[in-house]
Amino acid sequence: MTDSGTPVVQITDLGKTYPGAGTPALSGVSLDVLRGEIVVLLGLSGSGKSTLLRHVNGLETPTGGEVVSLGERVSGLRGRALRSLRGRVGFIFQQFEIVGPLTVLENVLTGALSTLRGPRVGTWTYPKRLRLRALGHLDRVGLLDRAYQRADTLSGGQQQRVAIARALMQDPEILLADEPVASLDPESSSQVMGLIREIAAERGLTVICSLHQVDLALGWGDRIVGLRAGEVVLDTSTDGLSREQVMEIYGRVATTTAELHAIETELAETREALASEEDREAARHRFEADLIDREPS
Amino acid sequence: MTTVHSPAPPRLDSPSAAALAQRIADVPRPAPRLASVISYGVIVAIVALGIWSIIALDYSLKSIEGTWANLSRFIAMATPLQWPGWNVVGTRQEDGTTTYVTEWVGLEPVWEMGGAILITLALVIAGTALATVLSVPVAYGAARNTSPHPAVVVLCRGIGVVARAIPDVAFVVFLAFLWFGSGTLPAIVAIGLHSVGMISKMMADAIEQIDEGPRTAIRSAGGSKTQEFWSGVVPQALPAWVAVSLHRADINLRGTVILGVVGVAGLGYELDEALHAGPSGMRRVIPIVVIIIVLCILFEILSSALRSRLLGVRPAGRGVGDTIVRALSRRPAAGTPAPASAGAADRGARIEAALHRPWDRNRLTTNLWIWGAIAAVVWAFAYADPDVSRLVSGWRFDQVSNPDLDRAVWPPNFGSRDADDVLAAVLTTVQIAFAATFISAVISAVAGPLSARNVAPNGLVRNGFRGFALVLRAIPDLVVAILFIIATGFGPQAGALALGIGGVGLLAKLIGDSMEEVPRGPERALASSGGTRTQVFFSSTVPLSVPALVSHLMYLLEQNIRSATLLGVVGAGGIGFLLLNALQGRHFDQVIAFLLVIIALVFVVETASVLVRRALR
Repeated sequence: MTDSGTPVVQITDLGKTYPGAGTPALSGVSLDVLRGEIVVLLGLSGSGKSTLLRHVNGLETPTGGEVVSLGERVSGLRGRALRSLRGRVGFIFQQFEIVGPLTVLENVLTGALSTLRGPRVGTWTYPKRLRLRALGHLDRVGLLDRAYQRADTLSGGQQQRVAIARALMQDPEILLADEPVASLDPESSSQVMGLIREIAAERGLTVICSLHQVDLALGWGDRIVGLRAGEVVLDTSTDGLSREQVMEIYGRVATTTAELHAIETELAETREALASEEDREAARHRFEADLIDREPS
Repeated sequence: MTTVHSPAPPRLDSPSAAALAQRIADVPRPAPRLASVISYGVIVAIVALGIWSIIALDYSLKSIEGTWANLSRFIAMATPLQWPGWNVVGTRQEDGTTTYVTEWVGLEPVWEMGGAILITLALVIAGTALATVLSVPVAYGAARNTSPHPAVVVLCRGIGVVARAIPDVAFVVFLAFLWFGSGTLPAIVAIGLHSVGMISKMMADAIEQIDEGPRTAIRSAGGSKTQEFWSGVVPQALPAWVAVSLHRADINLRGTVILGVVGVAGLGYELDEALHAGPSGMRRVIPIVVIIIVLCILFEILSSALRSRLLGVRPAGRGVGDTIVRALSRRPAAGTPAPASAGAADRGARIEAALHRPWDRNRLTTNLWIWGAIAAVVWAFAYADPDVSRLVSGWRFDQVSNPDLDRAVWPPNFGSRDADDVLAAVLTTVQIAFAATFISAVISAVAGPLSARNVAPNGLVRNGFRGFALVLRAIPDLVVAILFIIATGFGPQAGALALGIGGVGLLAKLIGDSMEEVPRGPERALASSGGTRTQVFFSSTVPLSVPALVSHLMYLLEQNIRSATLLGVVGAGGIGFLLLNALQGRHFDQVIAFLLVIIALVFVVETASVLVRRALR
C-alpha cells in the first residue's frame, strides 16, 4: 500500500493571519507528506499546529501560499468538490467533538454523511450496508456493545475511540489528528495512540498528528515536524533521534523571545478557553432558568 | 483637637490628626459603576412609577366600597354553584327569600363540558405543534451561528418580536374573517403564529448555546450545511426545543380563556357564554373557572412528566408540575450495557446481531412516550378538524383590501378616537402594568427573602413561603383577573390587583432563589463578627443580590405589559379595550393602528429590559 514518492499533502509557503490578529498564525510553512507516512507535528499551544492541520482539509482558508491535498488545490474547492475531499480526509479532534445526545452508532454513521444526500435523523435513516460497516468499525475500536448508548455517557477515552470509528467510516486516505490525547488520562492516551497506529498500519493510512509531548512524539511517529510561532523549526526522521537532540532544537525552556511569546499565547488561550467554557456553562444555566420561569409570552 | 489620643494611629508617618483628616479627605471617591447606578435607578423608577400608577388608578375608599357591593352581589348571583350535570332551580318563597333546589339532570351536560375540554386541548396542542414547526426555520435564521446572513438574523428576530407583541386574539378575529366559516382553522393558526414569537426566540437562544465542536467535526467529515444542522445542531438543541414547546402549550392553555371572548370554541367560550346568560349562567361561572384551573394544573403535571421522559432527566423547573413530577420520580439507574459476549468468536455474527437495537425497558417506555406525544398531536388535528382547504382557497382578501369598505386594512387609522384617547389608553395599560409590578414587588419584598434558606429564620417559615408562592403560581392569573374584573365590575384597578397578586408567585420565587445563590462567605464573616440576622441580611445578602432583583423586576414588568394589554380585551380598559372594540367592529384599519401602538409599546419595554440586563452583566 505504501507508495512512497507521491506526496499526498503538499504545502507550499503557507501563511495564515487571522483577521484582527497582529502576528501571523502560520508563515512560510512548506511541507510534503508522503503516502503512508506517520508525521507528528510538535509544538506548544499557539505554535500553529491546529491551524496547519485545519488547512489540509479546508476548514481554514490560507492567506498566503497553497495546500494541495490528494492532488486537489484545497482553497480552489467549493461545495460538493470540497465535501468530497473532506470525505477522504479523517479528522480527530482534541475534544472528541462527538454529538453527545445521539447514540454511539449514529455518531459513527455521521462519518458517512459526505456520501449521502440530504439530512439524516435517526439511525434507521442510514442504509443497512452503512449500519453494518459502522458496527464493524465500532467492533474494531472495541465498543460494539455500546452501540446504542448515548454518546455522552461514555468516558473520554471511549469517546475518542468513537471519534476514530467515525473517521474510519469515511474510509479516509489521510487521517489528521489534532492533539488526540491532550484531554485524556495516561492509560486512555496510550490506548488511543496505539489504536491510531494500528489502524494506520492496517489500512496504509497517511497520518498527520499534532502533539505537544516530546516523549510521546519520539516513540510514536516516523517523522517529526517541529513548529514554533507559526514556523517550521525542525523536520526530521525519528530514527536515531534522541530526546536531548529534540529538546535542544525544540527546547521547551523559554530562551528566545519567540519561545516566550509562544508560552504567553498558550497561557492566554487556556485562560480564554476556560472563560468561554464558563460563559457557556453560565449561559446554559441562565437559559434553563429562563425556560421555566421567564417566558416572553 | 490635637490633644486627642488616637488609640492606634494608622501609620507612623502621620502623627497628627489633622494630617489624618487631610488624608481622609483626599481619599479618591470613584464615580459609582454604571451597573449600580442603573440598578438603583431602576428600583427607584419602578417604585415611583408604581406609586404614581396606584394613585392614578384611584384605589380610593369610595371606589373600594363599590367593589364590595359588586363582589357580594356577584357571589349572591353565582351561588349555589351549578356544576355540570346538575341544575339549580330557585323558587321565590312567601317571605321574599329564594330557596334553591339542586337536582341531577343526567350526564348530557357533563359530556358537553367534556367536549369543551377536549376542543380546548385540541386547539392548544394543534396550535402549539404548528408553532413549533414554523419556529424551526425562524430560529435557524435568528441564531447567529446558523444564520446565512446578519440581515437574516435581524429579520428573524424581528419576526419574533412582532409575533410576540400581537395578541392571538387579534390573529383569530382577522383570520376568522379572512377564512369565514372554516371552523377551528383561524384559532389554530392564530395560536401558532403568536406562539412563534416565544418559541422561535427560545429555540434560537438554544442553538446559539450549543457546542460548536461536533458541528465542525461533521463539516470536516464532508457533511453539507443541512446535514451539519440536522446531525450536529438539532440533537444538541432538541431537549431545549421540546421543553420550550411543552412549556408554551401550558401558556397557550391558559390563554385560550381569552380567545373565548371572541368566540373560539372551548372552555373560554363556555365561560364567556355563562357570564352573559343571566342569573342561571352566573351560577355556572365559578364551576367553569375551577375546571379551567384544575385542567391547567393537570396539563402542567402531564407536560412536565413528558418533558422528563423525553429528555431523560428529572425536571429542574420551578413550576407546580415540575415540583410534583420531581417528587414522584426516582432517578432511573443509568443503564449498564450488557457485557460483550466475549466468547463469540464470529465477528460477523456479532455485528449482525448488533444491527437490531434491543428492546430494553428504557427504549420501550421512551418510545411509548414519543409515540404518545405524536398521537396526541395527530388526535388534536383530527379532533379540531380545521378546514385546511381554506388555506389555499376562499380567502376574502378582497374584503379587507378594498379601501372603500370600512373594514379595509389600509390605511391604518384610529377611527373616531384621536391621539389623546389612544395615549390615555396606552397610559392606562402602562399604569396597570406598573401598579401590578409594584404590588408584586411589595409583597415579594417580604415573601421572597423569607423563602430563601439563608434568610428565613427556620425551615417552617421558608417552606411556608415557598408553598405560598407555588400555590399562587399554579393559579392562572389571567383567569383570576377575568373573574376579578367581572365580579367587581371594577376595571383597571381589579386587573392590576389580580396581576399584582399573581405576580407574587413568580417574583417571590425568583427573589428567594437569587438570595440563596449569593456567596456565603460575606454572610459568615458578618455573622461571626457579631452581626444580627437582620444586619447580615441588609449588609450582605441584599447588596449581593441587587442585580438579580433588578433583572427580575424588569422581567415582571415586561410580562405585565403584555398581560395588561390582554386584560383590556376582557374589560380592564386601556389599549386592549380599544383593540377589542376595533376587532368587534371588524375595523381592521383601526386594528392595525392599535396593533402598531402595542408593538411599539412592547418593543420599547423589551428593549429597555434587554439594555438594563446587559448593563447589569
